[in-house]
Amino acid sequence: MTRVHGASVDGTAYRLEATIARLLVAGTYVAIGLVLVGVVGMLLTGVDPLSHGAPPPFELAEIPADILALQPEGFLWLGLVAVLALPLGRVVVAGVGFLAARDTRLALVSLAVLLVVTGSIVLAIGLEG
Amino acid sequence: MIAGLVLLAGGAAVGLFGSLLGLGGGILLVPLLTLGFGRPLREAVAISLVSVIVTSSAGASVYLRTHVANLRLGMVLELFTACGALVGGLIAFSLPVPVLQGLFAALLGYVAISMLRGEPRKAGGAAPVDDALLPRDESPATTAVSTDVDRAASAPALQPAPTAFVATLGGPGYAVTRLGVGTVGAVFAGVVSALLGVGGGIVKVPLMNLAMGVPLKVATATSNMMIGITATSSAVIYLLRDEIDPYVAGPVALGVFAGASVGARVGNRVDTRLLRMLFVVVLLVTALQMGAKAVGL
Repeated sequence: MTRVHGASVDGTAYRLEATIARLLVAGTYVAIGLVLVGVVGMLLTGVDPLSHGAPPPFELAEIPADILALQPEGFLWLGLVAVLALPLGRVVVAGVGFLAARDTRLALVSLAVLLVVTGSIVLAIGLEG
Repeated sequence: MIAGLVLLAGGAAVGLFGSLLGLGGGILLVPLLTLGFGRPLREAVAISLVSVIVTSSAGASVYLRTHVANLRLGMVLELFTACGALVGGLIAFSLPVPVLQGLFAALLGYVAISMLRGEPRKAGGAAPVDDALLPRDESPATTAVSTDVDRAASAPALQPAPTAFVATLGGPGYAVTRLGVGTVGAVFAGVVSALLGVGGGIVKVPLMNLAMGVPLKVATATSNMMIGITATSSAVIYLLRDEIDPYVAGPVALGVFAGASVGARVGNRVDTRLLRMLFVVVLLVTALQMGAKAVGL
């Protein structure tokens, strides 16, 4: 076992943490890149964020069409969705890693975390409906 | 165009100062958006949650790569913070706005007093983005961790022996204790995060450090890593209930990310003592303003 700062890290855990770190770096830059495109588009098209009227509703299905039409809103929504999806991606990767290492308890914990977030989504949709 | 740039600059200022002072963005962003830009409180909370996820993800990548964060402990605790955030996200829509304003005013006052006492990391260091965005690798952070770990290791072992599962959650030089207390506190941290749009480090860091025997640096890093899931659990509720305006959230999140990145790079060269005192004043004034709004003044 390699003793590294702050956590006991064997080879498998070391690789898992490194993989998650890479995912988070790449994901953060992708998300921020999408938001950046959206903000630049917003500035170029003259949208005033503080007085453009009611906030546009979030419609996941419309994002691709908005992006194809080069609407800033589409890039902004996709960037924000990417931001929210990133921690979930981290949990999925961790869960798979724990499963591969036959650490069933932590794999189940990862699954439970995903279920709680799914519960949030289901409840929010239910309340909205 | 001007408004977009002003939002961007506001987010950058929050990211920069939050980074320099070791605070999460939420404690600064929510007052800026509500009192400064006149946005509704729930929208401000939602945008703040998005912003803290951005800084948390960037920070967690560094903490995981350098193995400062305790992934296993973080995963267990974030299950409970996520539950708390789910509950908090639902409560936020049933509580009257003045109550939320009053709670936020109390939080601001608490953080100001903690900063006055010189304990920002313990009190409000939700997202220590000064460590977060700049890959410093094994230098200052590791020294601090080693010191904490050594201290923890040399402390008298007064806590009860951990169970087999809890024993797997510790790290070099320290064992995790009182997991039950930790889980209850984690639920509370999740509720606070969802209600007020903060990372919840204000609860998690002292909880892990003081109650569970986790060295401060590890607790801070692990808390930072957990913020992503905690905030996402409630942010999706705000998103699906159309409380997020992408035209406001976009420039603010971008600004926070840019400001925090700059803060991480200049943090070591800036004397933050004066800044800290000024910020205590700003926080107290903001707490009074938010409190006044809460009671309808």
